[in-house]
Amino acid sequence: MTYDAVVIGAGHNGLVCAAYLARAGLSVLVLERRDELGGMAGTSELLKGVRVPTLAHTVGRLRPSIARELGLRGHGLALVQPEVRAFAPQPDGRAITLWGDVDRTARDLVDGGLAASSDAASYGAADQQVRALGRGLAELMSRIPPDLASPTLGDAFAGLRTGLAARARARSANESLLRTMPMAARDLVAEWFESDALRAAVAARGMLYTGLSPRMPGSGGVLLADLAGNDGGLAGQTVFARGGPGALADALAAAARANGAEIRTGTAVAQVRRDGERATGVTLTGGEEIDASVVVSNLDPRTTLLDLIEPEVLGPRLSWRAANIRQRGTTAKVNLALSGLPDFGAAAGDARRLRGRILIAPSMRYLDLAARPAKYGELPEQPLLEATIPTLVDPGLLADGRRGRARTVVHVMSVVVEGIPRELRDGTLDDRRDALGDAVLATLAEFAPGIAELVVERQVITPLDVERDLGAFGGHAMHAESSLDQWFAWRPLHGLGRYRMPLTGMYLAGSGAHPGGGVTGGPGQLAAQAVIADSRQGRLRVSA
Amino acid sequence: MTGGRGAARQYDAVIIGGGHNGLTCAAYLARAGRRVLVLERRHIIGGATVTEEIFPGFKFSVASYVVSLLRPEIIRELELARHGLQVLPVDGTLTPLDDDYLWRVDDHGVTVSEIRRWSKRDAEAYEEYSLLMAEMSRFVKPLLGAGAPPLDGSDPRGLVALAGFARRFAALPEPQQTAFIQLLTMSSADFVSQWFETEPLRATLSASGIIGTFLGPRSPGSAYILLHHYMGEVDGEYRAWGLPVGGTGAIAGAIAAAAVEAGVEIRTEAAVARITTRDGRATGVVLESGEEITAPTVVSNADVRRTLRDLLEPGTLSADDDAAVRGYKFRGSSAKVNFALSGLPTFKVLPAGTTDHFRGMVSISPSIDYIERAHDDAVDGRFSRQPYVDMGFPSFIDPSVAPPGQHVMACFVQYAPYELAEGAWDEQREALGDAVQSTIARHAPDLDSLVVGRQVLTPLDIERTFGLSEGNIFQGELLLEQLFSGRPIPGAGYRTPIRDLWLCGSSTHPGGAISGAPGRNAAMAVLRSSRAGASEAA
Repeated sequence: MTYDAVVIGAGHNGLVCAAYLARAGLSVLVLERRDELGGMAGTSELLKGVRVPTLAHTVGRLRPSIARELGLRGHGLALVQPEVRAFAPQPDGRAITLWGDVDRTARDLVDGGLAASSDAASYGAADQQVRALGRGLAELMSRIPPDLASPTLGDAFAGLRTGLAARARARSANESLLRTMPMAARDLVAEWFESDALRAAVAARGMLYTGLSPRMPGSGGVLLADLAGNDGGLAGQTVFARGGPGALADALAAAARANGAEIRTGTAVAQVRRDGERATGVTLTGGEEIDASVVVSNLDPRTTLLDLIEPEVLGPRLSWRAANIRQRGTTAKVNLALSGLPDFGAAAGDARRLRGRILIAPSMRYLDLAARPAKYGELPEQPLLEATIPTLVDPGLLADGRRGRARTVVHVMSVVVEGIPRELRDGTLDDRRDALGDAVLATLAEFAPGIAELVVERQVITPLDVERDLGAFGGHAMHAESSLDQWFAWRPLHGLGRYRMPLTGMYLAGSGAHPGGGVTGGPGQLAAQAVIADSRQGRLRVSA
Repeated sequence: MTGGRGAARQYDAVIIGGGHNGLTCAAYLARAGRRVLVLERRHIIGGATVTEEIFPGFKFSVASYVVSLLRPEIIRELELARHGLQVLPVDGTLTPLDDDYLWRVDDHGVTVSEIRRWSKRDAEAYEEYSLLMAEMSRFVKPLLGAGAPPLDGSDPRGLVALAGFARRFAALPEPQQTAFIQLLTMSSADFVSQWFETEPLRATLSASGIIGTFLGPRSPGSAYILLHHYMGEVDGEYRAWGLPVGGTGAIAGAIAAAAVEAGVEIRTEAAVARITTRDGRATGVVLESGEEITAPTVVSNADVRRTLRDLLEPGTLSADDDAAVRGYKFRGSSAKVNFALSGLPTFKVLPAGTTDHFRGMVSISPSIDYIERAHDDAVDGRFSRQPYVDMGFPSFIDPSVAPPGQHVMACFVQYAPYELAEGAWDEQREALGDAVQSTIARHAPDLDSLVVGRQVLTPLDIERTFGLSEGNIFQGELLLEQLFSGRPIPGAGYRTPIRDLWLCGSSTHPGGAISGAPGRNAAMAVLRSSRAGASEAA
């Protein structure tokens, strides 16, 4: 069988890439090893009739250009954005609530009694600063990075243009990305606010899906990159796909198919075939060979380089570099089926406050300590949590016959658990699955007493599970650690930051490529741009 | 020359602080014909580059204790050798463990075979790593000898410099390009772990990445500090890792001699109380004695906070500039413990009679986890119960600093946070000294019986004695956002928001250590500016 392009892996980025390639007129085949689409952005059944977001739980950073250009709404994607973005309860029963509306947040900060009135005033200014920085950052994140290894004049001009655009948007040198990206999240929030609770609620986003503590340089960059998504401002985006993240994958698949792409599930690729230095297709694990002059990998960079490509192509230097890509997972997921709505005392019975992201990040000290055990291969007793109760905004996740063992399931809760090392000092994560689940429930119970009694079913997904079930080496939610050394033109590696892999015609389209992880579709979109640009320049033998 | 404009004016420039950078700056200004006065608060010049006899016969390099980065052009141009500077090489680093050791020395072959004892793979990688770091130092060094113009597009000089730098970068082979990006962005532990599996080697190498900064070896950004310390290790014409004969104060002495020869006047016990300004320009200083000294140019060797927040009248800075200064991070995290010893300690893992390790440094850095846990203590607001210690024995190679047969042991200690969660440093000074002593005694059990004197400098002591804010030995942390054109105020370089007031200390690019580079660069900037002013006036 012959196609113009084969896409390995039907994660959301693989599907985005496939849809764009098909839309450009290429014949495209997507190969997915699992039976479901979406990869880490999927929906699964926890119990019969009870669906949960498997790993990722929000899709707020999806690039609007992707939804528009691929017509995702017409393909069934419905997004829900609650007014509340984040709710961070305190042990004393008070809470920080970040709303989509800046003024409402500022009022709430004062009313809640947790933030000084100066913080309420500076919240708006900081929000403006974050948006200004976010727009500068968006310039960087929406383009194929320049070729730093051997820059052309065009690259130099593009770089200069990007720099000047970012500069024009920064109101003062203090706001420049050069200064803020390398900062520690802790230092960044300290420049904005006095209130420790508010600092922590904001800084927590600099720690999610990374092994960084808030004191580590670069965590400010992670925070800004996350807040920068779609101009969400300081509160960030909290957007749910109706039907869970898997509904996004379904819409993307529909868009790809509508443009003529084929998708085969239950089909694993063993290796990329080649003729000399040029990719010629793939070999499936069953031995079947498929010809294609373009091969796109949605897999993690290490697996892409070390498993899909023959070692002779890489040579010892590149093999060594690929093996050193930092991909050890840091994030676990706990999915709960609940017989009632957890009683977060700090929400004071106002369930609207629970419709966004619920952050267990009560203080900067808490964040310091939550990040600590993982450094030594240990599990945190009190981890940083980001939970959502998607059934509050999307009741359709529960089918009519939503029966758990003996009790009716009324809600599902999706809990992202940070600071979980892929390698434990003693034993494996499999041995500690229950201990991890218990620690998460005990932590939640400090803010929502009685939550444990509501649990009808519990699922604990560790980085080891992610590695085994999804095939992402290291089990990292972002494929590769999000920090400044694996960022921009050098993500995943310097010299390979422009989607083109060492074989001509082979591309990387997963989260291990710029602009990195999260449900943005950015890597898939930019990888498709690289493929289309190369084919227009006659470097590939395709029909476009 | 500006001097001719006012007959009453005695000095062209007054320099606040006689640290090695202030003296360097003074020397260069005087050699260009300026009349320069250096004002030093203490009774002795040198700032943190100082030798003092704390116990009779024992001369401590009280603060900085090795010279690694002193710019060769300064040594040459100021003829420091003629002015008495003599540097003896420091050879090697011993990392003792409970039941073994790792010992690297200058002789590359010896080191490689020592590492081979631990790991064959690491021994091979060590060659590659050493060459790579040498290449990296060569690549970065030109950045140190010049100012750092802003890179954000606000100044064409910055863009020209950036373009030149990009060209040099593009000419590097891929491994060096990769290493440079990693050194700017990675943690030192991650960086060295790419090459090595031997834990004490990883730990001792990555420990260079934490010096003077409140970061652990696993914190990104520490790889840059590692590079900062490598710059002195390799230099074609002058190998500068060493101990000055007579202690580090001898460096300040030699620079001062060069300055005085060029006509600089140095006054000690002349503490500046205030910098005077008129219409947004600096006009001179007022001493604590009340004496007023006017000068058209004021250069401060004090750190940016002391200069712009403590020495200026409140309200002189704009709110934005004041916020920028407040946002500059010091966070002292180091302590120094100096021992007077009746004899040399015995490191129990070494064969009896071994003494060559006293020619070099001994590093208590058995594992990355060990240093990281020491950092955790500092995060918790207390000094490390089991600290990272880097110690030297200057009297072994320079007997002039101790009575015959007796010795000086200088210990750099991390972490000791300036801000304590509980209690005050004045009550915990000796507890810190005890923790350091027992940490060393674990490897050299006879230490306790040899101690005849002990001087403990907490971050608070460093602040009080040397005027370094929060006791930061580098006049501000070497964080990425506080490097190059971001140091100390983004885009300002050696200038300050107050015209005619300049900075020349380690708060400025390229940062701390005994390099003299900030002082020399600042002098060049002052001279360039006055030439530009002169041609403007003409």
